[in-house]
Amino acid sequence: MAVAAPEQRLARLERIWLERPGILGWLTTVDHKRIGLLYFWTTLVFFAAGGTEAMLMRTQLAQADEHVVGPETYDQLLTMHGVTMIFFFIIPMTTGAFGNYLVPLMIGARDMAFPRMNALSFWVFLGAGLFMYSSFLFHQAPDAGWFDYVPLGLKQYDGGLNIDFYALGLIFNSVASTLGAINLVVTIFKLRAPGMSWNRMPLFCFAMLAASLSLIFALPALTADLIFLELQRKLGFHFFDPAHGGSALLWQDLFWIFGHPEVYIIVLPAFGIATSIIPTFARHKMVAFPLVAMAELLVAFIGFGVWAHHMFATGIASTTLVFFAGASMIVVIPSTIQIYAWLMTVNIGTPSFKAPLLFIGGFILFFVVGGLSGIMFAAVPVDQATTDTYFVVAHFHFIIFGAAVFPLLGGIYYWFPKVTGRMYDERLAVISFILTFIGTAVTFFPMHIVGLLGMTRRVYTYDKGLGWDTYNLVETIGGFVIAAGLLLILFNIFWSYRRGEPAGRDPFHGGTLEWTTTSPPPTYNFPVVPTVSSAYPNWDEPDRQEDLRKLERGELVLDAGHETVVSSVNDARFDEVVEMPPESPWPILLAGALTIAFAFLLTSHWFVAGAFLVLTTLMLAGWHSQEPEEA
Amino acid sequence: MTATAVRIARPNGWWGMALFVATEATLFGTLVGTWIYLRFENAHWPPPPLPNPPVLTPTLLTLALLTTSIFMQLAWRAAREWRRSRAWTLIAVAFAIQVFYLSWQLHDFVLAVHAFPPRASAFSSVYVTMLGIDHAHVLVGLLLSAWLLVRIATKITRYRLVALQAITFYWHAVNVITAVVLIVTVLPSV
Repeated sequence: MAVAAPEQRLARLERIWLERPGILGWLTTVDHKRIGLLYFWTTLVFFAAGGTEAMLMRTQLAQADEHVVGPETYDQLLTMHGVTMIFFFIIPMTTGAFGNYLVPLMIGARDMAFPRMNALSFWVFLGAGLFMYSSFLFHQAPDAGWFDYVPLGLKQYDGGLNIDFYALGLIFNSVASTLGAINLVVTIFKLRAPGMSWNRMPLFCFAMLAASLSLIFALPALTADLIFLELQRKLGFHFFDPAHGGSALLWQDLFWIFGHPEVYIIVLPAFGIATSIIPTFARHKMVAFPLVAMAELLVAFIGFGVWAHHMFATGIASTTLVFFAGASMIVVIPSTIQIYAWLMTVNIGTPSFKAPLLFIGGFILFFVVGGLSGIMFAAVPVDQATTDTYFVVAHFHFIIFGAAVFPLLGGIYYWFPKVTGRMYDERLAVISFILTFIGTAVTFFPMHIVGLLGMTRRVYTYDKGLGWDTYNLVETIGGFVIAAGLLLILFNIFWSYRRGEPAGRDPFHGGTLEWTTTSPPPTYNFPVVPTVSSAYPNWDEPDRQEDLRKLERGELVLDAGHETVVSSVNDARFDEVVEMPPESPWPILLAGALTIAFAFLLTSHWFVAGAFLVLTTLMLAGWHSQEPEEA
Repeated sequence: MTATAVRIARPNGWWGMALFVATEATLFGTLVGTWIYLRFENAHWPPPPLPNPPVLTPTLLTLALLTTSIFMQLAWRAAREWRRSRAWTLIAVAFAIQVFYLSWQLHDFVLAVHAFPPRASAFSSVYVTMLGIDHAHVLVGLLLSAWLLVRIATKITRYRLVALQAITFYWHAVNVITAVVLIVTVLPSV
């Protein structure tokens, strides 16, 4: 039998992995890279919506006694801003866009472990987002704050559909997040290229693993809480009603059992991006690699034991306060290990301060600022004095915008050449960094002061003469500076996509596997399953030469079918070759039926909703009637 | 050579199910936690004039359900040795017991909703919710088993083998969860 040349093998792989062209191809895709891009652009639209809500609020607060929006609209903007940024921007952007696109490329896999489920998680996420935002059409957007405390969120105080949109929308969205998290964990456990034992896995993947495990174990508390809320609102149950043996604090406990791990779910992928960018631009491997990996997992683990520090002002027992204050102090340790590791890597390397590293620099600074005010809250009297003031708003925006979004912006620049095959404009990128950096400091730092001056959270306006006017005006100006920086990033993306210089395979000499393949990566990711013998495989030239020889020999090319390699969990030994499913219409159809079911649950048409749930079950049967081996 | 002999680790499908079960177990952990939390908010549990929850029938039914773990495990063993009809029969036996269990429990659930109206108290609310969500998980298991019975009726493929392994794991988990729910809910009566 004639031996196929490498070019023939690649052509065969291209044929096997090619999906339908056009819009239909995007609707039925199961390719992790396309799904990652779908997540990216969708979450960017939600980010724009959340940002617009923020700017409307800041405009309203720019001066005392403003009338840009009324109190009801302000409540809706405030709630939807929080809900959007957390549930429809940061989590799906980090796990959905970055995780989906990069994890298989970093571990040497051809796709995610469950490609169809991956598509389903995206379409369910989109359905949940549309469901939530459709509330604006009926002027009934959620309006009791992103944490929706009861009794304010109960029927007698909020009688419209606002809170039902909130509860059902978040239950629906948690389906997407859970599916996505399970997929990422199994992909990291099972699809690592043979040789990529735990100590050789990129720190980015450790961060995604920690965030995904946190999602798996944190979301059920929120789901249970939301189910209780809907049962109480729609059917008259009594979970949160003290007059019937319930407890209003139950809502807060369950919410924060989810809500504090959520902070780490948001920030851990940012840590992962930092640990990808720093070694590349410092031209040095991460120092204390095992410690950083363990710290990422520890942050997630300890994050489950600190929830009550959000409830220090609720009158809970002193012993409980002391325990949670102590736990809140302990979580500083793994975070600090990482900060020192990042700084030391830059210090002993030869750093090149390009835009991605600048954003990471901004991230570290803001994380320290937000972290320092965070430690203050572990001191119970400080927490009780500042609860519900703008001091808290300043703290968590330094963490959520400064520490979580800045690495995302740096990551967008860092992987832009890989995704598009073109370089971004460095000069514009640096200007966008300066604008967002200054804007962030100017917007959020004065909030500390105005909070200490007594300005409470969630007020839609304030009186003149309280000494808050100037600070608020400065914050609003800062908000517009951030918006300008973000718009410049968007412009840079579009402009560079059309006009950017060709990037080549590896413009920054990155260490991880995604830089070993072409930019943009081919549909099959890698011509051969890559050889891995360290945590920075792209810097191991002999292994890359070995990959070329493997391609010559036809070893681990897997050009007999739509296949990927599965390995063992602990030491990534070669286990088997499995057939991956092809593109499928079932995920989008199923998500559509689920969206309709949730719409009817909202309007209390139980039987119609039930009928659509039955339809989703039938669709699942249809989905699984086509087995990958038969395709 | 059996299908498992060539593998050195559990398949992706098993891991997917294990993580799904982990999230469901956490959901039940939250429900049990809520039960205990509300218990300490009330001087009497259940509050008068509510009766204590029934013990005997749910216990016997749960014991019957627990036996299905054995049948499902044996079915998985038979299937990985490619003994299709034995595997199918064992799944069918488990399925029959599970249908019997759920039918009886649903009947009793309707009675429970009348005896413990969820609009009456927090106790009734959490009791009915916990039972309802547990029964929903049994129903999902039945749907999965029904799909298995249809697919394995003709032949066993690798895909179906992994599905059987994962669904067997699901049933083990649901059975343990059901036992925990039983213990928690009958404690006030014993």
